[in-house]
Order: sequence, then C-alpha cells, then structure tokens
Amino acid sequence: MKTFRDLLRVSLTGLFARKVRTLLLLLGPMIGVAAIIAAVGLTDSAKGDLKQKVNQLGTNLIEVAASSSFGSKDPTLPADVVSRAQTVYTVTGVAQIRELSNIVVTPYKEAKDKYSAVPIPVVASDSSLLGVLKVQLISGRWLNGFDEQSVSRSAVIGIGLARQFSYLPGEVRTIELDGIRYGVVGVLSEVELEPSFDNAVFVSFKSAKADFVDTRDDPIPANKLYVRSKEGAEKLTADALRVAINLGGPDEVTTDIKSEALQLAAQSDQQIKLIVVSMGILASIVGGVGIANVMSISVIQRSAEIGIRRALGHTRAIIASQFLLESLFIGLLGGICGVVLGILSIFVGSAIAGWVFVLAPWLIPAGVALAMVISVIAGLYPSVRAAKLEPLETLRLG
Amino acid sequence: MTTTVDQPVTGVEPLLELNMVSRVYGTGDAQVYALRDVSLRIMPGDFVSIVGPSGSGKSTMLGLLGCLDIPTSGTIIVGGKTVTGLDDADRTEVRGRTIGFVFQQFHLIPHLDATANVETALLYRGLNRTERRQRAMDALDSVGLSRRHDHRPVQLSGGEQQRVALARALVTEPKILLADEPTGALDSQNAAIVMELLTNLQAPERAVVIVTHATEVADAAARKVSMRDGRIVSDLTRLR
Repeated sequence: MKTFRDLLRVSLTGLFARKVRTLLLLLGPMIGVAAIIAAVGLTDSAKGDLKQKVNQLGTNLIEVAASSSFGSKDPTLPADVVSRAQTVYTVTGVAQIRELSNIVVTPYKEAKDKYSAVPIPVVASDSSLLGVLKVQLISGRWLNGFDEQSVSRSAVIGIGLARQFSYLPGEVRTIELDGIRYGVVGVLSEVELEPSFDNAVFVSFKSAKADFVDTRDDPIPANKLYVRSKEGAEKLTADALRVAINLGGPDEVTTDIKSEALQLAAQSDQQIKLIVVSMGILASIVGGVGIANVMSISVIQRSAEIGIRRALGHTRAIIASQFLLESLFIGLLGGICGVVLGILSIFVGSAIAGWVFVLAPWLIPAGVALAMVISVIAGLYPSVRAAKLEPLETLRLG
Repeated sequence: MTTTVDQPVTGVEPLLELNMVSRVYGTGDAQVYALRDVSLRIMPGDFVSIVGPSGSGKSTMLGLLGCLDIPTSGTIIVGGKTVTGLDDADRTEVRGRTIGFVFQQFHLIPHLDATANVETALLYRGLNRTERRQRAMDALDSVGLSRRHDHRPVQLSGGEQQRVALARALVTEPKILLADEPTGALDSQNAAIVMELLTNLQAPERAVVIVTHATEVADAAARKVSMRDGRIVSDLTRLR
C-alpha cells in the first residue's frame, strides 16, 4: 500500500515536472474522446425533441380498429369490446370511440355553405379517451360522466379546428353539427399520436345516438379502441387483442402500434453517428500512438534517471509501474478533459441549432475508460523498455 | 608503507567478497576478458581506492561490486549473502539495502529538488512521507546543504550537486559506499570538499570504495588496489 502511494507520488511528480510534454500527450486521448462524445451527443440531440416526446407519450399505445374485409360498409366492434380487451392481462387502459361519417360541421348556421365541402371528423368517445391518449386540454373540460349519462350536446374540439374556427381559449361558444347546436366545453391540445384528432369534434355516445346514428343498439357500437399496454409488451398485446376481441375471426380486427412511427422518427442518424464515432476512435488510437512515441523518446531521455533509480534499489517492476502509471494518468486526465470538451460542444452545437441537449450518461465513464485503456496500452511498450534498461549501460561509469 | 596481500582475518566478516571472478564480454572469437580471476575482500572500516589505466577493468569491477552486473564466473558475496545466484529483483533489494553510489556525473534527477533527490533513495521502503523527508533533511545537513534543500540540480554548482548525491548515497545508511571518480567533474576546490566529506565518512562498520585514476584521490585512501589488464596487480594498505 505504501509502495503504491510512493509510486503514485513519483508518477505524478514526473508528469507535473514536464507540463508542456504532459499537455501535448493529453491532447490525443482528449480530442478522440471529445469527438466521440460530441458525435453521439449531437446526433442524439438533433432528435432530442422527438425523443423527449416519445418518453412523454410512451411507446405502448395500440389502436384496434374494426376492419371491413367482409365488405360491410361501416364495420363495428362487438358491444362488449371493452371488457373483452380487458381480459388481456397486459392491458392497462382502454378507451372506445365511434367515428361518425358525413356530418357537416360549421361554427354557426350561416357559414354552412363555406364549410360543407370540408369533411371534419366527428367522433363519439367515452370519457377515458383523454387519459389513454395522455393528452392535455388547452381550456375547458373533457366529456364527463354527466355527458355519458344524458344527451347533453356537449362537444370537445381539437386544437386545429379551434384555430380554424377562431375559437379563443375559454370562450363560451357553440358549434353546429348537421345543424344541431352543441356547446363547446373544451379544447384539446395537440394529439401527437393521432394527428387526425386535432381537427375532430368529440361528443358523447349518448348524444351521437340521439342525433346522428339510426340504430337500435344502445350504446351505439364502437369501431375503434385505444389501448395502453404494459411497457415493452406492445406487440404481444396487439396480437392477443386481435384474438380476444374477435373470438375466432381475426381478419376483422386490425391493430396498429401508434408510437412506432414517432419512435422511428426519433431515431438518431446512425450512419453519421457511426462515421464520427469511428473518426473519434481513430483519433484516440492516433493519440495512443503519439503517447507510445513520446513515451519511448522520454524513456531514452530519462535513461539516466532510470539507471540511478535502479542503482538506488528500485526494481524493474517498480520502474515499469512508474511509467505505466504515468500513461494511466495521461489517459485519465485526457479522458476527463475530452468528456468536458465533448459535453461543451454538444451544449454549444445544440444551442446554435436549437436542439434539445441529449447525452446518454453512460458515455461519460465510457469515454474516460476508453482514453485510459488506450493510454495504458500505448504506455505498455515504453514501460517495459524502461524496466529492461540496464543501469550499467545508462550510468556511464568512469 | 607496508605491503600486505591479504587482510588480517580476525573474526570479522568481510562486507564484500569477490572469489575468482571473471567477466567476459562478447562470445566466441570476439571474447574480451574485462576481469580475469579476480579475488578481493572489502572489510568493515576499509577506505579503498581502486586505480588503474583505462581498460584495466576498474569500471567492470565497480559494476560487480555494486551488484549492477553479474560475473561470467566466480562468486560475489555481499554481507554474507551470495548474490551471484540471485535474480534481478533480489539483487536489486541487496543493492538498495547495502550499497550507496556516488557517480562522476552526479546523476541527480533533474526535475526533483535536492530533498526529493535524496528521498528517492528511501522510496518503496514503507516509510511515511514525513519520516522520509526528515531523514533526507538530516542527510543534506550532514553534507552542509540544508539551506539549499529546495534547489533543483540546475540551480546548484557541481560541488553542491555532488554533495547532494553524497547525501542521497548516505541516507540509506549503507554498509558500503561506492564512489566512481567522485571528483572527476569538479574543480580542485570542490574536489577537496567532496574528498574531505568522503574521508569523514570512514567508520568502523562501513567501507568506502573509490574508483579513480586521480592520484591525489587514490592517495587519500588507506588501501590502494591497482589494476591492469583485468587483474589486480597490487593491493597495498598504508599502516598508521
């Protein structure tokens, strides 16, 4: 232990005594590590906002839709679809909707001519949809239990529609659905995982049945489910849902994992990352060669010192350890400086480009470790050479 | 001055013993005998000078006496221990424990100050820092350099550097002090100071061995071993 402490002091003294040489040696591993950190960090940060969104919205939203493979015009899901979906034990949340077709939506009666050509989706929804989609309201409230129990003619509209119709947040307004006046009780914020909802009008199943759907079924059957599963079990859940909902006829239900596209978009540009990381590794290796080179020269320059140390009773192992520790410290310092420089360049780069700063934490120890490994490997040969020097040959006895 | 070939053996163990030692460089036809069947005993209290012209084998002798080299044949016994059979690590250990070196070119480590240079001899011996520092300061004090303890070699004169080297050699309290042309790089004034220090280092339990071709240095020693062509041609002890 005391021997190691002595070694540590000798090595550090050796490094600090030759500051310029030490700084030059630091440059190699430092630039290499900085390049790697910056490459990974900047390619990640370029997609940082999307990555953040994926984390926020989750990757486990599954859409279940009735499909029309048998030719029926408006395919629907079974009436007990929600309880069927809930039999899949990886399901953590279910919301059902019914997309209604051919309803003319206008802000007020007089504008009917202007808007009838533009199809605006009207969606009958249950009250759990908001929670399953993890969407916030810009203003007002979402459809509640009262709306579900009665024909309340309350509507919630998407943010796109609110902009189109110039609805101010919090303003008490109405909206005309096929000429029937509905009260706008709330405005949704952007629905990242289902952008079509930004232009949609949401009403309760009760109101939809009363005003728009001519059927004896009560409630009117849904044609789509939004399901949240346990994280990581999306694909299994989607497969199980198809079977559980259709009970023998899987052709009539399709599933779609909604976050897949977003996840794909959030993926960093792997090719650019690979190229720059390779360059960083190359820079580190070149730095390592530089260390091996300079250390070898240093061993020759310090041969008298090595000789005198050997004469004073320092063993070959001690001499080798002394030089190896010097290169280890060069790696450690170079690695730390490289990481700091890399992080700085991600900060600066992201700030200039307007990206969200992203850095995988494991890169910090990995960067330092890489610099240390390369430096120690580079220091191996000079250290062994130093240890092999014969004191008689270096001391030039008279 | 009287001639004695052998030291009187009166129950005192020799500090260093060379028995029929030869050192051959090269192989085959290119073989050169640097030393040929040399026997020598260094006793406690000895003050020996080894003299001879260039190529006489005195440098080779110094390397062997200092456990820096191993002979081609013969045995070397240091402090009762046969070092010729030891591996490098054990030989290094014996060297560090029993022998102190002073060189013509001082061989101080340039990036360390005087104290740190002296401390280098005490590294890896399980001493803590304050203890080591104290012993280094004491050694510097004994050569009259305590006021310049924080100077680096370049800030010291040649004489001062050699005194630091002397302190470094003494700090481990070696049984044998080996000096290689200790005054060879010094002016006469500094040479006199170093020689005085070396002379004062004589002690009943310690031996001082100086390899030199300067006659005034050789004459300061009580015992003079002369070499020529790899052999000892005379080994004279001056009687008091």
